[in-house]
Amino acid sequence: MSQSRAARRAAFILISPAVLLLLALNVFPIGFAVFISLRHWSLSIVNPPRFAGLFNYQELTLDDRFINSLSVSATFVLIAILAELVLGFALAFVFNSKLKGLDTLRKLSLLPVMAMPLVVGLVWFYMLNENFGVINWFVTLFGAERLPFLTDSTLAMLSIALADIWQWTPFVTLVIFAALQSLPEYVFEAGRMDGLTEREIFWRITLPLLRPAIVVVLIIRAIDAVRMIDLVFMMTKGGPGGATEVLPWYLYTTGFQSFDLGYAGSMAVVMIIIVTLGAQVFVRQIANPEKGR
Amino acid sequence: MTSVDFDAGAEATPRSSKVVLGFSDYARYLIAVVFVGFSLFPFYIVLSTSLKSESDIFAWPPVWLFDVTWDNYFSALFVFGGTGVLPFLINSLIITALSTLLAVGLGSMVAYGLTRFRVVGGSHIFFFILSTRFAPPVAFVVPIFLMIREAGLLDTHLALILIYTSMNLSLVVWIIRGFFEAIPIEIEEAAQIDGYSRLQIFRKVALPLVKPGLITTSILSAILSWNEFLIATVMTQNTAATLPVYLAGFSGSMGLEWGPFMAVGAMAVLPIMIFTLVLQRHLVRGLTFGAVR
Repeated sequence: MSQSRAARRAAFILISPAVLLLLALNVFPIGFAVFISLRHWSLSIVNPPRFAGLFNYQELTLDDRFINSLSVSATFVLIAILAELVLGFALAFVFNSKLKGLDTLRKLSLLPVMAMPLVVGLVWFYMLNENFGVINWFVTLFGAERLPFLTDSTLAMLSIALADIWQWTPFVTLVIFAALQSLPEYVFEAGRMDGLTEREIFWRITLPLLRPAIVVVLIIRAIDAVRMIDLVFMMTKGGPGGATEVLPWYLYTTGFQSFDLGYAGSMAVVMIIIVTLGAQVFVRQIANPEKGR
Repeated sequence: MTSVDFDAGAEATPRSSKVVLGFSDYARYLIAVVFVGFSLFPFYIVLSTSLKSESDIFAWPPVWLFDVTWDNYFSALFVFGGTGVLPFLINSLIITALSTLLAVGLGSMVAYGLTRFRVVGGSHIFFFILSTRFAPPVAFVVPIFLMIREAGLLDTHLALILIYTSMNLSLVVWIIRGFFEAIPIEIEEAAQIDGYSRLQIFRKVALPLVKPGLITTSILSAILSWNEFLIATVMTQNTAATLPVYLAGFSGSMGLEWGPFMAVGAMAVLPIMIFTLVLQRHLVRGLTFGAVR
């Protein structure tokens, strides 16, 4: 059955505007980023950009700050994601009950997810202040000395992770909770009839059935954590001494404070490659969730 | 946390009607209340700090009972930074509204086109659009900055509107597609017999039927555009600068102007929070994007 010409025209009118926009602002910039990365391209000098071959990429491999930013990013992503997943998962089970009022509490707990990340950074920056921050007041309540949350390298990393965990744990809870609610009751009944204990039901039935949702939420969170920059902007500006200089922050300052667009472009290409690999797994998962089981 | 019993699905047994609080139920309440307190506390800090006088803001130990002052809001609205927040607030509203309208418009068009027409490579187009969800803004900001500059669109509303539209398309297409698929094809066939063209069916029959989807995607797109900082700070300076750009401008003088700073933060966050609470039902499907079918 072939479609009429009118139908083909209608399909074209419906589909092409969005696709054109994405070609212009998503596909073309990837190619353009590669083009930029192969040039000496600085905004701070008047010379026109000139071809540099793989110079910028070679620089990356020798650049301690770049290597550091990769490891800082990896550390941040690991800490934040691990905590969010463990907490979010446990909380989904806490909320998975018909107890009165629990539903309202669950809905209230979702509020951080929608807050402007820049304000999240602002308020945690304020609360973690060494001299008058309220978190340090809690610390002193326990009899300890005030802590230099944002000026000690280990604590600064943990502080940024904490702000991220505050914002995104409810999201993980929401997704796992929704997945939990969508599981059919009969599989648990069957498990009980087969004489499985509650513990066995959890490990052998619930967990495997939740696996697709866990994988998806893990990838979404990982990819979003890799791009995180607002918290660093507000809380540490990459400091102290590069301890919180994640890849996006180094890329941004290279491009828009040192104006070395060629070099920033090579970092952008590296970042796009990393994220694309993650996205591949995601798209395969939602295209065919059975494969993940 | 170890006392949480993993009794997924057990609520189908009529336990909830007994309303007997066992230890585990107390544990649920306790954990849920602590979690909600943790989630809401920073919002309280933003609000209370914005209403404190300067001496109360820097007080140690922190003051919990204080005289409310509206001075911070006054200077945030009209004084701070020369112009106050108002021009930036207006820019944010314009850019949020128009980019949302465009994203939902173009997104529902392409979603409809891909569900109801046989398009060569249709599923590839669909997954291409989904995969743009993972484009890290910080990696795209270098090439897009040069493109926007070349087009003479730096510091214009149009630049941010187009970029935000492209960023929100994937979310819109993902959610709306499910709604279109749920419409019985017979309704549209009947309209066709009545002499509607394919595009008329889209506008007059299909779109009104997916109104809940349009609401969900509008809210989510609007919040994402409203909250966006990185692209805005690179692409705009004055004329089209948004609320987060204004807020970031404070960070140079931080430590001195906490009051107005928090007042702007409150203006940026609290409307969204109320929105989120009122419209939560609509948000959940959008937030669980791809994780729960």
